[in-house]
Amino acid sequence: MKLRLTMSAILALAAAPAVAEGTINVLTWEGYADSSFIDKFVEESGCEVNATYVGSNDDFAPKLMAGGGVYDLIAPSIDTTQLMIDLGQVEPLDTAAIEGWNDIYPKFLALDGIQQDGKYYGMPYSWGAIAFMYRDDAFDTPPTSLAALWSEANSGKISLWDDKSSIYVAARLNGDMDIYNLSDAQIEAAKQKLIEQKPLVRKYWSTAGELVDLYKAGEVVISNTWAGYQSSLLADEGIKVTEFIPEEGAEGWMDAWMVVKGTPNKECAYKFLNMQLSEQGQCGVANVNGYSATNGVAAKSCMTPEQYAALHQDDPDYLDSLLIWQPLGERFEAYLNAWNAVKAQ
Amino acid sequence: MTLLRERLGGAAVLGIPLIWIAVFMLLPYAIIATYSFWIKQYPTFVPAFQFGNYLNLFTDPQYSKVLIRTLKVSLLVSFFAFLLGYPFAYFLAFRCRSQALRTWLYMAVIAPLWVSYLLRAYVWKTILGTEGILNSFLMSVGILSEPSDIFLYNQFAMVVTLTYIFIPFMVMPVYTSLEKIPRNLVEASADLGMRPIPTFLRITLPLSMPGVAAGFTMTFCLTFGDFVAPFLVGGPDGNLVASVIVTQFGTALNWPMGSALAIFVLVIVLAVLSLSDRVERAFSPKEA
Repeated sequence: MKLRLTMSAILALAAAPAVAEGTINVLTWEGYADSSFIDKFVEESGCEVNATYVGSNDDFAPKLMAGGGVYDLIAPSIDTTQLMIDLGQVEPLDTAAIEGWNDIYPKFLALDGIQQDGKYYGMPYSWGAIAFMYRDDAFDTPPTSLAALWSEANSGKISLWDDKSSIYVAARLNGDMDIYNLSDAQIEAAKQKLIEQKPLVRKYWSTAGELVDLYKAGEVVISNTWAGYQSSLLADEGIKVTEFIPEEGAEGWMDAWMVVKGTPNKECAYKFLNMQLSEQGQCGVANVNGYSATNGVAAKSCMTPEQYAALHQDDPDYLDSLLIWQPLGERFEAYLNAWNAVKAQ
Repeated sequence: MTLLRERLGGAAVLGIPLIWIAVFMLLPYAIIATYSFWIKQYPTFVPAFQFGNYLNLFTDPQYSKVLIRTLKVSLLVSFFAFLLGYPFAYFLAFRCRSQALRTWLYMAVIAPLWVSYLLRAYVWKTILGTEGILNSFLMSVGILSEPSDIFLYNQFAMVVTLTYIFIPFMVMPVYTSLEKIPRNLVEASADLGMRPIPTFLRITLPLSMPGVAAGFTMTFCLTFGDFVAPFLVGGPDGNLVASVIVTQFGTALNWPMGSALAIFVLVIVLAVLSLSDRVERAFSPKEA
């Protein structure tokens, strides 16, 4: 009897890792592992999902570099995916094991940041624009240009994302449209432009929730935004805002799922990737975050025609009009340093 | 045998804290110090021995600007904490006759320390905001005709918030040092014909200086390393050195630069500590 108890205890201990094999830890954005579509996955696949959320693309590298092999999957944006590859933190994907891979819009599969030496490291998942947004009740004539963020008329009511992308914004206002290949002089000009704007800025926002709070509290009436996301959160609060793409254009982003090198939970990781690229994941994130889908076939079948159109799924021109983020590589430091200098002013 | 046991016991009592300090304080400092000589190289950084990061600290104006601003904010916070905390501690130690009231008031200052720091900083956002409590109040009494945005997202808001958060660290040591002053000294001074204000300036204040120095040091150092207040209530001009360090370790992946900054901050804090130590000793009663 006693022996049997001990035996069962040992068996239970031995069984524990087997359970752990069915658990994946994902480091991702809020909404990307939302219970509205993940619960079903957990039930059907037997894989538990633990999600940790990042507030910015800059959180991925420090979290992975801290080591410990905690995470199995990550979902950085296209400006950060290359860094993950260069850091050696992710492994090539077995695209044959991902159903629906060939339904991904070719434009996304052609992007540089997710592939190296003929192998794919990232699975395109969702995309959108870094649009601009204003409070309807604050403008008689809707703004159409970035100049509105430099206008005295909006003094003290302007917000800008606390991110290197502010350099992209200022550069476009300066007429430098090749925003991912700026020269030192162009970066310097953008920096000066941002310093000029600084007295008009109420607060640089750093998380999605913070921007929503700033609009809610009446502190801010115009800013940039992750198109589809904060505006819908504000709509829920009864605050009317409108997103717009300024004359000077807007950046676009795409998030890709990547498998962390040496993950012991490959089976569950690939089940997860398959689910995310299927209708369940594609419409899941579209419904939760208001982001567009990368799998056109899945989007077509699970979205209503209105949603399909609203998310620009049928509109290749819209996608082409966006300046999709690119990895800055060694130039990243120059951009970030300029932005830090603006903040230090 | 018993001697050996006592020695072993003594070694354990002293040894464990020493190992603790070595592993959790000295070793991390050594690692940070090592990193500070490394060099940034895409994608991360590589080992080196060079002083470029320290040189950068002094030549790139963005660092000196932030350091000077942090110094300014820290001094202001310490100053206002002193201005508000000292009279309060004085009242508790000398004027408050009811022991119950004294305990109650003392607890009122200390109690907020049990509330999450983040929550307390957040509360100030709702007080100082454009549609916040302060604006509503000023409008209801007719001082303002429309809400003002001058209270939040600037250095003023940071100083107010940090003063509020760190004031217990001023009140506690000042109260302790005031309480230690023998009452008969003040009475003797009065008997000898000195009026209350000179008595305060020449007897009480100097004798409480060790407490003031301790309070000043704590509020200064705590402010110097703070990055929550700039994030929550600071504005575009509110970048403090701790936020810059966070950026260097996070966004920039430039641990060498972040480490150099951290070491520099450590040096400043140590300098303040040794200065305050001197002040404390200078004002301490000389023991024969």
